[in-house]
Amino acid sequence: MKEILQKFFKIDRRWIFLLLAIVLFTPIIRPIGLPNKTIARDTRNAYEALDKLPKGSFVLFSLDYDPSTRPELQPQATAVIRHAFRRDLRVGVVTYIAGSTGLIQQIFEKVPGEFKKVNGTDYAIFPYMANPTAVMTQMASDFYGIYDKDQDGKDARSLPVMKGIKSYKDMAMVVNITGTSILDSWVALVGDKYNVPLVAGVTAISQPGYGPYLQTGQLKGLIGGMKGAAEYESLIQEPGKGTSGIDSLNLGHLLVLALILTSNIILLVIRYL
Amino acid sequence: MSETWMIAGVWIAAGLTIFLFSFLYKDNPFFKIAEHLYLGAGMGWWFQVYLYNIWIPKVWDPLAHAPHDWGVLIPAVLGLSLVTQFIPKISWVSRYGFTFLMGYGAGLVVPASLATDFMSQIVGTIKPFSALGSMSAFSIFNALLIAVGVISVLFYFFFSVEHKGAVKKVSNFGIYFLMVYFGAAFGNTVMARFSLLYGRFDELNAAASAHNFYATQIILAAMVLYFLVHGMIGKKPSAEEAH
Repeated sequence: MKEILQKFFKIDRRWIFLLLAIVLFTPIIRPIGLPNKTIARDTRNAYEALDKLPKGSFVLFSLDYDPSTRPELQPQATAVIRHAFRRDLRVGVVTYIAGSTGLIQQIFEKVPGEFKKVNGTDYAIFPYMANPTAVMTQMASDFYGIYDKDQDGKDARSLPVMKGIKSYKDMAMVVNITGTSILDSWVALVGDKYNVPLVAGVTAISQPGYGPYLQTGQLKGLIGGMKGAAEYESLIQEPGKGTSGIDSLNLGHLLVLALILTSNIILLVIRYL
Repeated sequence: MSETWMIAGVWIAAGLTIFLFSFLYKDNPFFKIAEHLYLGAGMGWWFQVYLYNIWIPKVWDPLAHAPHDWGVLIPAVLGLSLVTQFIPKISWVSRYGFTFLMGYGAGLVVPASLATDFMSQIVGTIKPFSALGSMSAFSIFNALLIAVGVISVLFYFFFSVEHKGAVKKVSNFGIYFLMVYFGAAFGNTVMARFSLLYGRFDELNAAASAHNFYATQIILAAMVLYFLVHGMIGKKPSAEEAH
């Protein structure tokens, strides 16, 4: 008996890779529709912070992620921008990650049309900038000192969406969705220093590390990973890529739990029985 | 972009994904191709990013077009000085660039980080105790838990006092808080990795459509065929067969 059980620990790990691939791929082909019933407090806080803003408020989105974290962060960004457009907020988009530009374009090719929003009037996208700390510092005194043109080369000052916006004090909120440590700079150099309400979306890996900023109120809300994206999609009642990924995540987690439990039980049996 | 190019892009993306995943089975030339292509394409991508997003708009345009802004020469020269470290004879010039970077970076980040990560966190830990009367039992428990966690973990990382007696007990208690954090972080890491894998599978599923001429299925079948043929050709004859 023990010899048979011992074989379990010598199993070729490629079988586990294959099993994981099947478990994650199957719900993509045939969705199971597992519900996403729990909404994290931090995601709800992020939603409510944006929801409370008066119509026409200007929200600056800093979308700083590249294709490597796209599955987690693109659904978050899409959901929050949908929410902003639905609330008739003015949207400005900046990025400090060069790989983000194409992903931002993907969002804005689709989402503004759903709400009949017009480039330049309801939203503006600004070009990629290197050295985020220098740019963030400069924007505190003069936004146009850095962004004198939008990404299409139009004069930023003359855009209707930018009316009355000169620095952070004219902005109602900054939303940073990032797979990098740029969020630390937003908190330290902008949120804390200029009292700008800050909401963030991060990868699941970095989510626990930002807990202290939530406790102190330095972040008004935090969306974490694909689960956070699914939660935000539930709150705005617009299921997207985050929601559709929940089936795969749930099954993947169940597989990991099953493997951990099985191997521990077998180990106990081998050792004590 | 024309439809043909879009479909070609889908084939390349699906192919490279499958080539890279194929390493999980075993090392093969397709994985090597994808790996080298990734490095080369990455370098090329960053070169054009810096050229078109920094050098041309921030340095070349202000210098070449009226009204000329000669001031950009100062940061440009400081930046270029960093490159001299690759030339041993004049590598000392790079010190000027590094000195500027260090001074500027430290000046900008140190005060902000002290306020954000040090003072604000201390205030955040103490502040709830000033309003205990108006707090619910759960909030009080939460505030106490955070305070005890902060103090015990700080004790764990305080090495100037020998960890024995009461200090050892407190620092040992801190280990439990650290373990909870590491557990949460590891759990989230697993979730994040699965999310990324799901993202790639989702793309492969999109590439598997008739519109994309079944890119995923064809490339996957070709890879399986390669491994089968390679396995058959590479199989060593047994001792009996060799005779």
